[in-house]
Amino acid sequence: MSETADSPADPVWYKDAIIYQLHVKSFADSNGDGVGDFRGLTGRLDYLRDLGVDCLWLLPMYPSPFRDDGYDIADYCSIHPSYGTLEDFREFLGEAHARGLRVITELVLNHTSDQHAWFQEARSSRDNPRRDWYVWSDTDDRYAGVRIIFLDTERSNWAWDPESKQYYWHRFFSHQPDLNFDNPAVREEIWKVMKFWLDLGVDGFRVDAVPYLIEREGTSCENLPETHDVLKFLRARLNEHFTGKVLLAEANQWPEDVRHYFGDGDEFHMAFHFPLMPRMFMAVRLEDRKPLVEIVERTPGIPETCQWGIFLRNHDELTLEMVTNLERDFMYEEYARDPVARINLGIRRRLAPLLEADRRRIELMNGLLMTLPGSPIIYYGDEIGMGDNIYLGDRNGVRTPMQWSGGWNAGFSTADPERLAQPLISNALYGYQAVNVESQRRSEHSLLNWMRRLINIRKSTRVFSRGATTFLKPANHRVLAYLRTLGAEQVLVVCNLSSSAQAVELDLRFLAGAIPIEMFGKSLFPRIGELPYMLTLGPYHFYWFKLRRL
Amino acid sequence: MVQDSLLSDELLQHLMAVGQVDVLVGVPTLNNATTVGGVVRAAHQAFGRYFPRDRTVLINSDGGSEDGTPAVVRDCAVDDQDTFTVSHTLRTVHRITTPYHGVAGKGNALRQILAAADLTQARAVVVLDADVSSVTPEWVAALIRPLREQQFDYVTPIYPRHPLDGPLVTQMIRPLIDAVYGWRIREPLAGEFGCSQRFVTHCLEQDVWLGPLARYGIDLWVTGTAFAGGFRCCQTPLGPRRSAGHTGLSFQELFQQVVGAAFECLEEHAAFWVPRAAAEPLPMVGELPAAGEDAPAVDAGRLTQAFCTDIEQLQPVLRSILSADTLDSLNALAHQDCERLRYPDDLWVSTVYEFLVAHHRGVMRRDHITQALIPLYLGRTGSFLTQWADRSPAEVDAALESLGLQFERSKPWLVERWGEGQR
Amino acid sequence: MAQMIANAVREAGTNFVESLVAFLPNAITTLSIIVVGWLIAMLLRAVVRFALRSLRFNALAERQGLAALLKVADLPEADALLATIVFWLVWLGFFFSGIDVLGFTSLQGLVAGFAAFVPRLLVALVILVVGFIAANFAWRATLLASVNAHIPSPRLLSGAVRWLILILAGAMALEQIAVARTIVLTAFAIAFGALMLGIAIAFGIGGGGIARRILEHQFPEREGSGADEISHL
Repeated sequence: MSETADSPADPVWYKDAIIYQLHVKSFADSNGDGVGDFRGLTGRLDYLRDLGVDCLWLLPMYPSPFRDDGYDIADYCSIHPSYGTLEDFREFLGEAHARGLRVITELVLNHTSDQHAWFQEARSSRDNPRRDWYVWSDTDDRYAGVRIIFLDTERSNWAWDPESKQYYWHRFFSHQPDLNFDNPAVREEIWKVMKFWLDLGVDGFRVDAVPYLIEREGTSCENLPETHDVLKFLRARLNEHFTGKVLLAEANQWPEDVRHYFGDGDEFHMAFHFPLMPRMFMAVRLEDRKPLVEIVERTPGIPETCQWGIFLRNHDELTLEMVTNLERDFMYEEYARDPVARINLGIRRRLAPLLEADRRRIELMNGLLMTLPGSPIIYYGDEIGMGDNIYLGDRNGVRTPMQWSGGWNAGFSTADPERLAQPLISNALYGYQAVNVESQRRSEHSLLNWMRRLINIRKSTRVFSRGATTFLKPANHRVLAYLRTLGAEQVLVVCNLSSSAQAVELDLRFLAGAIPIEMFGKSLFPRIGELPYMLTLGPYHFYWFKLRRL
Repeated sequence: MVQDSLLSDELLQHLMAVGQVDVLVGVPTLNNATTVGGVVRAAHQAFGRYFPRDRTVLINSDGGSEDGTPAVVRDCAVDDQDTFTVSHTLRTVHRITTPYHGVAGKGNALRQILAAADLTQARAVVVLDADVSSVTPEWVAALIRPLREQQFDYVTPIYPRHPLDGPLVTQMIRPLIDAVYGWRIREPLAGEFGCSQRFVTHCLEQDVWLGPLARYGIDLWVTGTAFAGGFRCCQTPLGPRRSAGHTGLSFQELFQQVVGAAFECLEEHAAFWVPRAAAEPLPMVGELPAAGEDAPAVDAGRLTQAFCTDIEQLQPVLRSILSADTLDSLNALAHQDCERLRYPDDLWVSTVYEFLVAHHRGVMRRDHITQALIPLYLGRTGSFLTQWADRSPAEVDAALESLGLQFERSKPWLVERWGEGQR
Repeated sequence: MAQMIANAVREAGTNFVESLVAFLPNAITTLSIIVVGWLIAMLLRAVVRFALRSLRFNALAERQGLAALLKVADLPEADALLATIVFWLVWLGFFFSGIDVLGFTSLQGLVAGFAAFVPRLLVALVILVVGFIAANFAWRATLLASVNAHIPSPRLLSGAVRWLILILAGAMALEQIAVARTIVLTAFAIAFGALMLGIAIAFGIGGGGIARRILEHQFPEREGSGADEISHL
């Protein structure tokens, strides 16, 4: 687990990895211009190593007009000047690898910025060789009925280009024209982009917006078979040239639909499990395990070399696309009473504010994250319980500067506070004076130290990352209990989803003879026998029991 | 203590698992395997359709059925009817079937259900009869809505039916209960009801559970207790009620159970209704349904045939019960043509009240008193049916209302006699 | 000679006086027992009367139909009657105990006889009362049941049931106090047997139709008053 990235590593290292998602812009600023950069990030690698994570996922760091926080890319093979130079990046990469940290970056396949040179050329005239790199139409009624993703800002998936007098297709913002993947030249070029970064040493890509690559009339233009062909092409190229790299798909779909993106092990290595995430929040609020158990049991099996990516929060809104209307109404009412917190069928809040800064609930959710099947992804700042700012536009409220200390600019930057690219969180509850790494380092029982211990225990066994999952269904619906099994190794996880103390009797006859050892304190619990196993749990408390037979 | 036997260990464990609930539906059963499946399904569909975000539980309290009723309840599949609603509930839906101990009777079953409601702190409780084949999910919703939206404590149903249907209710029980308790309720004997947590606690504190009413008259007692306890009560329309009926009971046995229970209830709640002056309509939530199906086809003539001879035969018994005037009037009636008997309202009211007073005073064994009333009731029913059989439902309703008013007007006489008597 | 007569008379007189003197304490004892017994019996009567009144014995008697019977027989009310019976029993007991003290052998047999008789008398009274109550109950129950079942001649039937039980109880009571035992036994057997025979013959010959109707009502094919045809609730 702590091999360096240069040693012949486990080609499926990502199955056991704990991934840390961060935004270079918001992590650490080394040159005092108010924007985080690679040199700053490099300076914080020790913190990340000590936290115990294995892999860093960087949000887009490419040149961009920043109208979508970097997801509108103007140059695929360069670094945004605010973040530093390519050399800075190389150095960062080397330092990360030296500490046993892998790095994956963003690959925004589906679209570019309208400032990208390709688009500038394509729009210049209809005869331009790059014209066909994008999707053009004389009318805006082609692909009618296809849903709009950014509902709050866009009215149509077509935008009029006054220069070439045609409409161009964009599934996201209108300044992000979709690339035309029916064009082989586009595929080749994208492969070249990938190769560029992989040659530098990057360990893989998180691929943005995969379902939308191909358009066909009369369809939803999502998850089309041709899309999979593109992905298989890219994966085949990857396999030809590299080993031990990972492609992580962002496909916000039902699990059975995401399954297709694994192919037969010939497409993505990993994919996010989007539908699981809101159901974790729902289960805790309902104090009922039903939604969580249902979605995990509904999740299909995936190829041996593949892995789910599970997460609590990320840089986007907490998406409520993959839930029923009833569930969405419930989530809005329980988690986003203030309509300002709602955006695009989701909630733009961080973990701690969503859980009302309740330490117990935060621990419970992280406990679930570390034990449910998949590789956990931690969003930067959630390990210390950072807050958010819903009054910033778009999703910027969850992308505020990392709070390192209670001092000048939270230790993020030496610039004038007014110069910061994003304002700091400064209220008395979540502000940087109250919530920061430095203070939490000094407190034995801070959330940060607790997370370190949690990650440590998670990594002590592979049963969480690779084991099978069986749900026990005790009569008490407020208790979630499941068994993770890998070979002879078994861990029983029991969680109290409710805010009141609970008693539960588990039918563990099939485990009779095993001695549960609680993994945090290593205490022994009574041996499992034929009688129902009675446990009591405090509010939001959970047990991880390693089952030993001696 | 008696309380211990109310909840078995197994039931208690179930309730621990269920925790607190918002909606509890109770279904007492005794050999209802043919119809209980429909009731369970309707309840579950109600959970999915109307209470998808609430914590719910269905509790079946069974008196030792020998036809596999508990198994039917346990195994009843809900999702084959309506997949959408099952997967649509946000929360786990609990279903418990448990036996109750003690004498078989709805009272014991109800007590167990109320105890479960008490422990789970159910905010709204609905009790459904298991032998009804026409239960729909809307029944559950209709019985709960007034509890939640208008803070009523007790909700009783109204079924659409022809005014000539159910003469024991329309001729006797309803006007008697309406006049005496002072609340005009349409279905005093309804087996279904909805109630609040407050009412549940109150009922459990009463000591009716060990007495005779626990076997036969618990439905009426619940209604009477709601009135006597000063709870906010209302009635709400449900759909038509089709039930398997009181199989195995002869009419005489049925009459004795119902009327005996009614008289016992009035004894129990005397402290409430004696001082109560006037009757008022029970609040209605929803619209009064139109008169139900067609008039029941009945050969009313046969009911009156026996009246004349029966009066004659029962003289020695009736003499101990009725006043001289009433008995004379009845005798005069008996000497007329029985085929065209016309038993006037005021005489009928006097009959009923005098029987009630005799019951109160215990002039003879109580079941003998109720038995003696049977021929008089049949005569009255026959008389009413022949008189009103060919009239419109509206006219019949008006006649029944007039009867009800007669009962109300005579209540002071009842109150006076009641005070003179002693048990 | 005269001296002998005078001596004899004197001796007789002395004997008489001695006997009288010997008898007097007994007589006084007897009188005291009788008087005290009377007082105790009065007290007990009052106590019993009070107790029965607070238990509302009269109401119970009325319910069982005893009160009516007593009125007809021109007897006092049930509680007074019972209290009086208690009075007499207690006082008679004391009376006979007092007599017993006198030591008259001829009377002692009487006392013993009385002591033996009283319990049987009480039992006989109890049998009579119980029988009366049972007869009344059975009469009313039969009357009501047969009226509601539309069995013909309900009054006749219920009356017959009542008298049967009364006769039985009367015979049992008489047997208990052993009055004309054989005669009573024989008379009862004859009467009862004749009654049963008569009923059987009447039923068999003349009551065939009625029998059929009764049976049909018990095991009906939905014939009857029409009461079962309606849905009453």
